[in-house]
Amino acid sequence: MRKEVKQAIVGLIMVSPAFLLLLFTVVIPIIQSFVTSLGNGSGGYDLSRYQNLFTDKGLRSNILFTIKVTLLSCVLVLLVSYSLALYMRFSSGKLVELIRKSYMIPLFIPGVIATYGLMNLLGNNGWLARLLLPVGITLPRIIFDEKGIIIANLWFNIPFATMLLSSALASIPASVIESARDIGASKLRIFFRFIFPLSYKTFLVAVTFVFMGVIGSFTAPFLLGANSPQMLGVSMQQVFSVFQEREQAAAMAVFSFLLCSFLGFFYIRSMAKEDQLND
Amino acid sequence: MIRLNKMVKMLTVLALTATVMAGCGSKDNAGTEVNPAASPAASTKPVEFQFYFTGSQNVKDLWDTLVPMFEKQNSNVKVKTVYIPSGTGADSTYDRILAAKKAGKGSGDIDLYEDGINVVNQGTKEDVWSPLDAQGIPNLNNIDSNTMNDVANMAVPYRSSAVVLAYDSSKVAAPPTTLDALLDWIKQHPGKFAYNDPSTGGSGSSFVTTVLYKDLPDADIHNSDPAVMEKWSSGFNTLKDLGKYVYGNGIYPKKNQGTLDLLANGEVEIIPAWSDMVLQQLGQNLLPDTVKLQQITPGFNGGPTYLMVNKLSEKKDAVNQFLNFVLSPEAQAVIVDKMNGFPGIKLSNMSQDMQDKFKGVAEGFRTFNIGDLSNEINKRWQSDVAAQ
Repeated sequence: MRKEVKQAIVGLIMVSPAFLLLLFTVVIPIIQSFVTSLGNGSGGYDLSRYQNLFTDKGLRSNILFTIKVTLLSCVLVLLVSYSLALYMRFSSGKLVELIRKSYMIPLFIPGVIATYGLMNLLGNNGWLARLLLPVGITLPRIIFDEKGIIIANLWFNIPFATMLLSSALASIPASVIESARDIGASKLRIFFRFIFPLSYKTFLVAVTFVFMGVIGSFTAPFLLGANSPQMLGVSMQQVFSVFQEREQAAAMAVFSFLLCSFLGFFYIRSMAKEDQLND
Repeated sequence: MIRLNKMVKMLTVLALTATVMAGCGSKDNAGTEVNPAASPAASTKPVEFQFYFTGSQNVKDLWDTLVPMFEKQNSNVKVKTVYIPSGTGADSTYDRILAAKKAGKGSGDIDLYEDGINVVNQGTKEDVWSPLDAQGIPNLNNIDSNTMNDVANMAVPYRSSAVVLAYDSSKVAAPPTTLDALLDWIKQHPGKFAYNDPSTGGSGSSFVTTVLYKDLPDADIHNSDPAVMEKWSSGFNTLKDLGKYVYGNGIYPKKNQGTLDLLANGEVEIIPAWSDMVLQQLGQNLLPDTVKLQQITPGFNGGPTYLMVNKLSEKKDAVNQFLNFVLSPEAQAVIVDKMNGFPGIKLSNMSQDMQDKFKGVAEGFRTFNIGDLSNEINKRWQSDVAAQ
């Protein structure tokens, strides 16, 4: 047997466990959901469930709401994470040490507990409201509102995104930045010409993670969100197990999968480009 | 190797997107372990049967107390409890029992199931439950025979509870006693009343149903005919209109506990709530002791919670032994103490203390039996009231 063939076989064997796992836990369920979602409830198959997604007032506002919350959360999370990561990379001192040691803590607090904690902190009669009362500041409604969901998303996603971005920034050689500085490049210029391009790939990974985490989130929006509009995850659960309209829930699942694949497409494309460069 | 590399990356991305699909995955079948068939006399190994129940945390606490008590007295039977929190797909437990029966798979590993009257009736229609008699369960004699006739001996009403108004007596001197008075009160005190999203808990659902059926004939509350749905319009208009007067101009917390939390921290003054949850939380000082209960007329719904034996269960003897224990005055006293539920057996079988405790409280609630219409109510509530 030729060497390349042998290598290819070994490679395939090594990939197959991951592939089989994905096949049975992801690919087949997606196909099943898709088939279910085509059922119109009276035996036939058509796209009526998808039409429903955009014509039903409640469902349409849920979708728009989900996209809005997801995009807002992504922007805010990445803004905060990137700033934190930059700060930790290029500054030093006690504060940096403190941040470095503590920013991961939210990762170790179970979601439900954190959510109830946020409710106690930010609720109408919560701690924060009580602390601000003597100062004369009244908080706007945070819990049972999209603000609550977004704050929870920040809490859940900032640590991980910061971790990813910090490691990307750490791998930028200091010599590159120092030499740029030596020849007089301004801070902004260094950022846009060196730092951002060199960490762009990880930035994209972080966006992907945050986007998918938020769009599929359930616990926080279920407990913190308003009754309407709802995030897709909450609405899907309600349609599936309360209203028992499995086809409609499946259509929603497929739709949110499409939203994610849209982002996945850009991610894969940029990875593919990179591979071509490496060839 | 480069192409493989690419493939791995693509698969990784696929895996990420998979998280989204998690929400609608189908439920796993519970344990597939094989137990020896029920023959307590012949075998020395304890018989283990599966008991599925649903409800709020208090129901779980109750069984966490009763089951060890039972197992201590009956070493030949083990009870494996499976708790399904309310609002998280409890309906599918019944679907599983039915599916197992239709597929010829026996009991589907669900021997005993706890639920309300709707499921009892549905199962009786579809011949899923096993009829019960005092031969197998001597303590059935402790139950009022009318209650047993209501369900054609297909289920054991082992405890009751009702939805009532819970109010903070330090802020509300005279709570409303009729539904009309309550609706007036809500309008006069904007933001001080809350009911929970009806699809997430029975107390909110009871409030919604009671308002919808306010002006409908009594017969309709036992009618699951979809034709009744047309008569809901005025009720839904009332609820829509109430939206601007309830807590937060139209915020409906999730689950029965959601509104109790609001009452506890003083954000609202009156809520509909399950009597047993309020009494229990008062006992644990989770609610301020100024919280009091009031039933209104026409009453909110309430009624017994039933235990049903799967007709195809192979462990009926063990299940009967357990049911007999649940209906003993000893276990019923635990239900009263622990859950503040009304006992399932006749009060005359309980101690004088208990009899005094429930004088007057256990009356006034109505039992709604509207079948699948409650799903329709939730659906329409979501689109008409929540998303108005």
